[in-house]
Amino acid sequence: MTAAGALLRRAGARGGGAGGAKVLTVLGVLALWQLVSSTGALAADVIPAPAAIGVSLVEVLGGLEFWQALGLTLLSWAVGLLVSICLAVPVGLLLGASELGYRSCRFTIDFLRTIPPVALVPLALLLYGATTQMKLVLVVLGAVWPLLLQSMYGVHQVDLVARETARSYQLGRWLRTAFVILPSAAPYVFTGVRIAATMALLLTIGAEVIGGAPGLGAAMALAQIANDIPRLFALVAASAVLGVLINTLLARVERRALSWHVSQRPSR
Amino acid sequence: MARVAAAFALTGRRLAGIAVELWLPILLFAGWWFASRGSSSLYFVGLDTILGALRDDWLGQAGAANVLPSLRNLAEGFLLAAVVGVVLGTLLGLVRPLGNAVSPIVEFLRSVPGVALLPIGLLIFGIGTEMKVSLIVYGSLWPILLNTVDGVRSVDATKLDVLRSYRVPAHLRILRVVLPSAAPRIMVGLRTSLSIAITIIVFSEMIGSTEGIGYAILQAQRNFEIPQMWAGMLALGVIGYLLNIGFRGVEQLVLRRHRAMNTTPGS
Repeated sequence: MTAAGALLRRAGARGGGAGGAKVLTVLGVLALWQLVSSTGALAADVIPAPAAIGVSLVEVLGGLEFWQALGLTLLSWAVGLLVSICLAVPVGLLLGASELGYRSCRFTIDFLRTIPPVALVPLALLLYGATTQMKLVLVVLGAVWPLLLQSMYGVHQVDLVARETARSYQLGRWLRTAFVILPSAAPYVFTGVRIAATMALLLTIGAEVIGGAPGLGAAMALAQIANDIPRLFALVAASAVLGVLINTLLARVERRALSWHVSQRPSR
Repeated sequence: MARVAAAFALTGRRLAGIAVELWLPILLFAGWWFASRGSSSLYFVGLDTILGALRDDWLGQAGAANVLPSLRNLAEGFLLAAVVGVVLGTLLGLVRPLGNAVSPIVEFLRSVPGVALLPIGLLIFGIGTEMKVSLIVYGSLWPILLNTVDGVRSVDATKLDVLRSYRVPAHLRILRVVLPSAAPRIMVGLRTSLSIAITIIVFSEMIGSTEGIGYAILQAQRNFEIPQMWAGMLALGVIGYLLNIGFRGVEQLVLRRHRAMNTTPGS
């Protein structure tokens, strides 16, 4: 509640006019859509009117199965992302710390990361069937690469002067890592986390749509098969809101966690 | 003599550099080859078998039949997204009130996971090329659009004022100044979009298609032709890598012009 209040206040401080224009545009587009739909120019069984989608959305949100599907999707998203972070960040930091390691792995990582993770759907289906493991395998295979790359870059970008200073003050390896390398690399790692989070959500839902593993994506595929089109649109809208929420949340965590870093300070 | 020696030293260093980059991939490949040789596992077949399938199914005529439809759709969708994204992005970036007003809509639409649109795409277009191309356009539009908006907005305001006061016509202002200064950001957007586009094309072929790489891979899996499935995944990796290299070439070409334009003579 207070968060919403703060958001409103900030929007107001930024200029009430801009916020008003945004709300008006959104309402205008929705009204136009409703109008066009009611003339019959958009076939209702292909693109339903926003009012119909809204009704269906309320219905969907009121049902237990939506929240179960959402829970399953979020669970594999979060576990997959966590596993990827635990795997990729330490390895990336280590590889980034050594020039030899960095250059040795560059080609391999570049190659592996261009393979679209969806290419592995058949293999994952074969090995695990339409299960949560299948989703997790896909999520991890897609999300480790941005994390790995960003962690490597992060260590690479550590200020040479800072590194040499720490060395000349005889800071040991562990102290150097904890107080120089990790803090400098943190913003890059965070960028990696944000990219990986988006990727993980995409892959989770994708694996559910194609592989039929339980979750939001499977619910969409079901709605399409049942020809319940407003429900399909409502589910897609819900997944978009989920994406916006995840993005906002991560941006906020990043600002909080890295508030001491130059990149987060307001420019004067 | 000294020059020849220097040249040799340079080649030596370059060779060493290449060796450093390549030892791991070669080692991995060799490891895979020997570890999987004579494998009796149903799923993890020998690399020699996979390469045989790769040669039979993914090179020459058969390969072209699988790969070309995918590449054509990919190119169509990606180019369309690039044009629409840059044009719309320039508009939204230059006309700030408009850009601000539609930003919530853009933010929402961009957050719709591209794969979630697959069922809707199937509904509107059925199985076919239009469905795949429009999904690619939708999925890859947003990074291009948002980066173009950012790039256009970061053009030096003084520069624009000067041009305006010299009454340089709007189309020249945009083509000669705004777009070239926004080029690095636009390229970042295009690069992000390329990998999204590759993902979406494979995805859409797995569900709504009777041709293309994704279809061939999934079909191989359904028929338990495991070597063919592995070969398809390998082929996809190679294609993705080549596309990225090609894009990097284009990027360097575009940005070289950009750098040349932004360096003042004599510096």
